Amino acid sequence: MQPVKIVLGVIGADCHAVGNQILEKIFSQNDIEVVNLGVMVSQDEFIDAAIETKADAICVSSLYGQGELDCEGLRGRCIERGLEDIILYVGGNLVIGKKAFSETEETFKKMGFDRVFSPDADINNVSQILKDDVAGRRK
Amino acid sequence: MSTLKNKRLDDSEFSTEQKEVLATWPTGADVDFYEAIEFQKSIPEEKRFSSALAEANKGRKTLIQPRAGVALLNEHIDLLQALSVEADLLPTTIDAYTRQNQYAEAQNGIQRSLEAGRSLLNGFPAVNHGLKSCRILANAIEKPIQVRHGTPDARLLTEITLAAGFTSYEGGGISYNIPYAKKISLEATLRHWQYTDRLVGKYEENGVRINREPFGPLTGSLVPPFISHTVAIIEGLLALEQGVKCLTLGYGQLGNMIQDVAAVASLRELADEAFNSAGYSGYQLTTVLHQWMGGFPEDESKAFSVIALGSAVAALSKATKVIVKTPHEASGIPTKDANLMGLKATRQMVSLLQDQSMLEIKRVIEEKELIKKEVKHLLAKVFELGDGDIAIGTVRAFQAGVLDVPFAPSIHNAGKLMPVRDNEGAVRILEKAKVPMLAEVVEVHQARIKQRADTEKREPNYQMLIDDIYSVGKGRLVGRPR
Repeated sequence: MQPVKIVLGVIGADCHAVGNQILEKIFSQNDIEVVNLGVMVSQDEFIDAAIETKADAICVSSLYGQGELDCEGLRGRCIERGLEDIILYVGGNLVIGKKAFSETEETFKKMGFDRVFSPDADINNVSQILKDDVAGRRK
Repeated sequence: MSTLKNKRLDDSEFSTEQKEVLATWPTGADVDFYEAIEFQKSIPEEKRFSSALAEANKGRKTLIQPRAGVALLNEHIDLLQALSVEADLLPTTIDAYTRQNQYAEAQNGIQRSLEAGRSLLNGFPAVNHGLKSCRILANAIEKPIQVRHGTPDARLLTEITLAAGFTSYEGGGISYNIPYAKKISLEATLRHWQYTDRLVGKYEENGVRINREPFGPLTGSLVPPFISHTVAIIEGLLALEQGVKCLTLGYGQLGNMIQDVAAVASLRELADEAFNSAGYSGYQLTTVLHQWMGGFPEDESKAFSVIALGSAVAALSKATKVIVKTPHEASGIPTKDANLMGLKATRQMVSLLQDQSMLEIKRVIEEKELIKKEVKHLLAKVFELGDGDIAIGTVRAFQAGVLDVPFAPSIHNAGKLMPVRDNEGAVRILEKAKVPMLAEVVEVHQARIKQRADTEKREPNYQMLIDDIYSVGKGRLVGRPR
């Protein structure tokens, strides 16, 4: 199988940089090719990079609470721009206030994300899930 | 680079710029500096930040202050009124869109929050709410309020909030750029913050004291004390040059008590020394400790221990104030009740330790002397790079990697300096990259790191650093291998 390629970044006006740098490291260690856009990435920047690099997935982080506003419409925008099949992941502290994770997961799945991860997700596990999802999508 | 200098802004240049700044969003039009002076003068003493800090400093007390901000005015007032029962000093944390001057997005956030019946913004969009609403807020709260944010270009926000009656203002041209921005140049932000500092200077010259607080913790991720201290002192020098007279310098708790107490103590001494030798006097200097800024345990009881450790450090180091975390920290923005719990836990610890200090302990003094040696060496290098001008020196120092902040998002930061915890959890330098350190100091750091490497029977490397980033959330300070 061709290596899995992802576009990675922190969405919106969010400048949390630490996790982003570590995600890049761990995904890379798991033989995933990472196009890291860093912090403060707009929806269009994610999509531009995904088109340009023919990525399998867009992995969005949000740590500052405004993820609900920033992520809305991303799936629709992907479809508009010809990325019907792209896998969308999101993870971090996605909403304002402490909520049950299942509630947050539902909110973001309704927005069109394939998987939603809490801030304590083990990235080695996520890497495996990602590879399986990509393999399924490529069939 | 042609125009940036550490020199007081010229009055006519300032007024031309002021007109431009106030025109960047419609709410700017309501600001009238002389009306604002009169309003500020009408604010009672007990609501002035500078007075509360002066009194605490005199009594060697540690004041407590939360972070808090929501999208809508009435909800924000309710929140601050509730917190004011436990807190000595209050904040207004500004949302992330306003921090990037995205006022249209902030407006959308206000609208969406109204519709949702809950805040969808992570702070209070003060520019959008404007002068009148901010003044309603300032009038409704019985304690001193500070603007807390992370805004590279905060000129309009400063104009509006100071005119509205806030008496303290956080930030600086380095500390609100390197950790909070991706591409904006240091020349630009240093200049923007000269404007903010000059405005505060103008208030001061008209008899209104506004407290200024450079943001101490920077990225909050294992930033060695000598790096954040050097930045804080530079921002202090830049502020003093513009006429600021009331400064609170900050530091983010790292976890090892000896290092943390020594850091707070050294910050005060180093700042006084640097300010005096640059020719400044007659200023009011205080300190702030930020409770642990890194990842927190999810479990709320465990989170309280982290909060308590920071509170203990603040009291034992005689920090003038402490910025308080909450048991919800692992999940992001806290509820009002969680915020209150953090304040109560902090108050209890700070009160218990109010009459004790660790400042006389031998190992604290040794650690303090180490930090002082490190800062003096680095600061001298920054001055040297600027041919004596600290603003120019700062720009060149970041370009050269001489000033280097771990885990910063800015492309203008080298990101080559690599910290790691030693065997007791103090943060040391594993790879100094281009940051100037005396050979004898490097030896101390290397020896401490070797103790840990020997204990763990592994090489110190990036993996060790990653382990240290997540360790507190997982229940220990040193990221030992599993």
